[in-house]
Amino acid sequence: MNDEETSIPQSVEFAAEAPVTGKVRLEAAWGSTEGDEDLTETTSQEPKADGHIFKQQYKPWNGELNPRWMRNWAILRHHLLGVFKKGHRPWGVPIRLYLLVVFVASLSDVGMTLVSGLIGDSGLHSVWGVSRDNLYAHVLGFFPRNMLYYPVVAALLVGGVISEDRQHGTSALYFSRPITRFDYVGMKFISVAMIQGLLILVTLALYYFAEIATMGRGWAWIIDTFPMFLATVFSALLLIFTYTSIGLSLSSVSKGKFFPGIALLSIILGTKVLAFIVSNLFDREILYLLSPYDCLAHVGQAIIGTQPTYDQYSWTWSLASLVAMNGIALYVLSTRVSSMEVTRE
Amino acid sequence: MSTKPDSIYRSLDRKASAIIEFTLRQYRTKKSTWVVLGVGFTALSLIFLIYIDVMASEFESIDNDGDSTDYDNDGYPRGQEIRLGTDPWDGESHPGLFDPPIEPDPKSMYINEDGFDWDVAVRIGEQSTGYDDDGDCMDSNKTASQKDTNDNGIPCDIIVEYYRMSDGELYVNIEADSGVDEDPDEDAYSREAIHLAFVLSIGKLGFVLLLGIFLPLFMATGLIRDEMNSGTMHFMLAKPIARSEVFLYRTLGYLGIVWPYVIVLGILGAVVSGFAGSGDSFFRFADLGVWLAIIFATMMATLVYGMLFNALGVLWKYGIILAIPFAAWELGMALLSMGAPDATLLRFSIIGWALMIIDAAAMLVWPNLDLFIVMGNWGGGGGSNWNFDTSLEGSGPLGFFSSKPGLGLSAFTAMIVSTLVLLFQAAIFWFIGGALFKSKEIQ
Amino acid sequence: MIPDFDQQGKAQTKEWVPEVSAPAILLENVSKSYGRIFALSNITLALNGGVTGVLGMNGAGKSTLFNLLMGKLKVSQGSVKLFGTDPWKNPAPYARVGFVPEHEKMYDWMTGHEFVSTFARLNGLTRDEAKSEANRVLEFVSLSDVAHKKIGQYSKGMRQRVKIAHALVNDPELIILDEPLQGCDPLARTTIMNVIRELGRMGRTVLVSSHILQEIERITEQIIILHQGRLLALGNLHSIRERLDKIPHRISIQTEDPKALAKDVIDIDEVFGISFPDGENLSIQTHNLGAIHSRLPQIIVENNHKVKTIDNPDDDLASILGYLTSGGGI
Repeated sequence: MNDEETSIPQSVEFAAEAPVTGKVRLEAAWGSTEGDEDLTETTSQEPKADGHIFKQQYKPWNGELNPRWMRNWAILRHHLLGVFKKGHRPWGVPIRLYLLVVFVASLSDVGMTLVSGLIGDSGLHSVWGVSRDNLYAHVLGFFPRNMLYYPVVAALLVGGVISEDRQHGTSALYFSRPITRFDYVGMKFISVAMIQGLLILVTLALYYFAEIATMGRGWAWIIDTFPMFLATVFSALLLIFTYTSIGLSLSSVSKGKFFPGIALLSIILGTKVLAFIVSNLFDREILYLLSPYDCLAHVGQAIIGTQPTYDQYSWTWSLASLVAMNGIALYVLSTRVSSMEVTRE
Repeated sequence: MSTKPDSIYRSLDRKASAIIEFTLRQYRTKKSTWVVLGVGFTALSLIFLIYIDVMASEFESIDNDGDSTDYDNDGYPRGQEIRLGTDPWDGESHPGLFDPPIEPDPKSMYINEDGFDWDVAVRIGEQSTGYDDDGDCMDSNKTASQKDTNDNGIPCDIIVEYYRMSDGELYVNIEADSGVDEDPDEDAYSREAIHLAFVLSIGKLGFVLLLGIFLPLFMATGLIRDEMNSGTMHFMLAKPIARSEVFLYRTLGYLGIVWPYVIVLGILGAVVSGFAGSGDSFFRFADLGVWLAIIFATMMATLVYGMLFNALGVLWKYGIILAIPFAAWELGMALLSMGAPDATLLRFSIIGWALMIIDAAAMLVWPNLDLFIVMGNWGGGGGSNWNFDTSLEGSGPLGFFSSKPGLGLSAFTAMIVSTLVLLFQAAIFWFIGGALFKSKEIQ
Repeated sequence: MIPDFDQQGKAQTKEWVPEVSAPAILLENVSKSYGRIFALSNITLALNGGVTGVLGMNGAGKSTLFNLLMGKLKVSQGSVKLFGTDPWKNPAPYARVGFVPEHEKMYDWMTGHEFVSTFARLNGLTRDEAKSEANRVLEFVSLSDVAHKKIGQYSKGMRQRVKIAHALVNDPELIILDEPLQGCDPLARTTIMNVIRELGRMGRTVLVSSHILQEIERITEQIIILHQGRLLALGNLHSIRERLDKIPHRISIQTEDPKALAKDVIDIDEVFGISFPDGENLSIQTHNLGAIHSRLPQIIVENNHKVKTIDNPDDDLASILGYLTSGGGI
């Protein structure tokens, strides 16, 4: 991070410019290098007649706190690296396994593009290569991606991310540090979103580059398709944001570890199934406005530019519904976290 | 105090009722129970409300055979011109030139003017039915062979032919003389079809799939696992009671809250669809059979899933991670059972068997369901010489959500077989769960 | 097979017939290992009647022993018998056993009475029997006044007592208590100790674990000492004590002028060594702790020494264990 790491002065000042090293942060928290020479002593004023017992020693901390972003970065890093190695936030082995499976499975279109490019089969390529529909399907296709992959990943990730802290009492560890609750939740949010982004956005980018590499696409093609790609990225971000905010609000509401996960899945799949019944039977699509997945798909269709499958109302309604869902979820999340009792449950 | 003999059963019964009561009270104190039950109730109520709204509104009448249109702009609709023998394509030829001139009929006379008049039973072979209400076949100046385009010697009728395919299934074929029952009443057909499709779809997807999977996911996975994690399992296991008994009684306690809930929601659905549904009668009593099957199938599904998820919870701390992909698999199987009820894959699912109960009941209660779907798809055949999609609204969804019980069984056998299979599955999962629990070391 | 809703008739709590003359607890060469770590190794033990204290440091294997007895763990080697029956295979002997687990978590949403009576029914009691039995045992542990309050509102000591009540409800012949005194205030401690002593007087077999010697001492004289999964000592506390009295004890005194105090103390016959660990402390070595303690206060008061603390660092389980494990020599 900084090449001055080795030359930390003995009495370090915790200024904003101070390099981020584990040592400095430890000192910031515990004051481990300073001796007790400069203790300030406060004695109780008037000893009572029946004996005074206590003598209070209070040592003010003169250091300067690292900037806020640095502390937040530590939380974020702690959560993200936990996916890859030990010594950070332990995501369960099954969760990591599932992430890996989903990552590989999400690469199916990349693989098919590579294969079709190598064989040079234009028929195969027209099915699997980058196109408006395939870009849409990579992020917003229902089966299997939004049934088995992304919602399940989101459910597994949000499952314990706040409730586990409450259960194990580790939230007390966070809140005994100079960290605001807003930062705490924000970093949880970003880390969960980033792990999902790693799956969805990275595989999407790989897909796009696989096409460029195997088909030898030139600048003309890239300029042609890049807006479409950007639109897909945007709809993927929207999807990640929505799943994360709903999931985290559920996680903040519940004490259990599995309740938020199942609840997120049942919200995403349950509303989808109900809306499907209603639109199929009664030819009314209005219930799709309650289904996060369908709102995302509708907005995605509009901005990516594929054939819309929802035609009874404008996509702006779906967008408005998404904004409302996220608003409610974030409201619940913020009120719950700001009123959360930091106890072990 | 009376002195009844104190059999082993009686003392078992005491332990069972103690654990069941305890489990019920435990559920009652959990907030999540009420949230889950409340959300389920709200979601289904929302669907019921939409259903009521749809049933209360008028279905748009469509001129299925296109004879209300005045193609030659002479002021006379096509149907009237055909009936009176003028050329519907020639503006110079119309009944106004008759002597005395005939006034043009209103267009509405040629919409829904020839509805279904069918009276057929399910049996193999050809049957003749149908009646030409508007007379554009019978009373027109067509020749005898034009009146009998389906060639069965009866003018202006419809042949309904049941035949058995090599797979043993009965299929229906419709062949009509042109101009017979060609413009059916949408309001009558679609209202009925959508009602039937609603009962089937809400029963299959709403009850068996959503309630059947998500209630056990929320409520049964932790039945044993939560107690093991918190250490309270020690109290129960320090009593002279076998662990597989604890497993069973805990599951029964869970059913004690889930089954009444399913029954209440089922009765609500039966009442709503019974009163709001189509038909002339005040209440559709016949549908109660299907609703009973829906309630029963959902109860069986919650039983089997409850045993399974409880066992998964015993097996592993992260049992839910095994349960979630399984739930997704069952969702796929539910969709498969509607498209291909005979698929072998369905036999490896739970929901396939549960849905079979509903299909079988529908077959018993609505014996003419297949014919009804075929009728709707035929939709009057578009009159004599029109070639567009003539299916009536509602027949598509009804065809999608209904299916034959599969396995080539009769409705009654199918119901019994699937019930036995589900009970067997529940017993197997109880056995596995109990055995897992028994071999589990608890710290 | 109609459900017995009215639950009439007499409970058949003793339907299981134990082997005649089988001791309450019989362990033969019992070992329990987790991978390569032995939580218990080669324990042979038979108990019948009386109160027995199980002593051991944290991790000595007390809970493992109890979990083996309660059929929660499977033995790796050897055999465990409760009244002649293997509890891992058959839960029937629990009809005559009461168990108080050490876990703190309880059903906070139940009242004490509901808790006790619900679990009493798992012994095969009818609803009415369970209620009256619950009243009886709650009276026994003196919780009658709060019996109808939620367990969530109970103090630590009340929770321990309601756990004991739940274990006593089937009138068991063997009662196993895992750390019943942990975390209790002195008053609750005394109540619980009285309850346990009372059970012993009633002729029950009681097994109670603790890691504090003084606690056990106040309850019983018959003790088992576990250390690192091994059975270190078994028998009367007095005989173990007597052997302990022959080993040197230390008394450490924190005072303003240790040298002056040392001058006065050295005259006592039983003192055979004195040392000064630092400027404020004095350490006395003796074979007879009692004799020193009877003389010491007098010396301190007479010579007006300013003493801050007096401590017997050896008089705890750790040093006894240290003595026992080092082979018993001086």
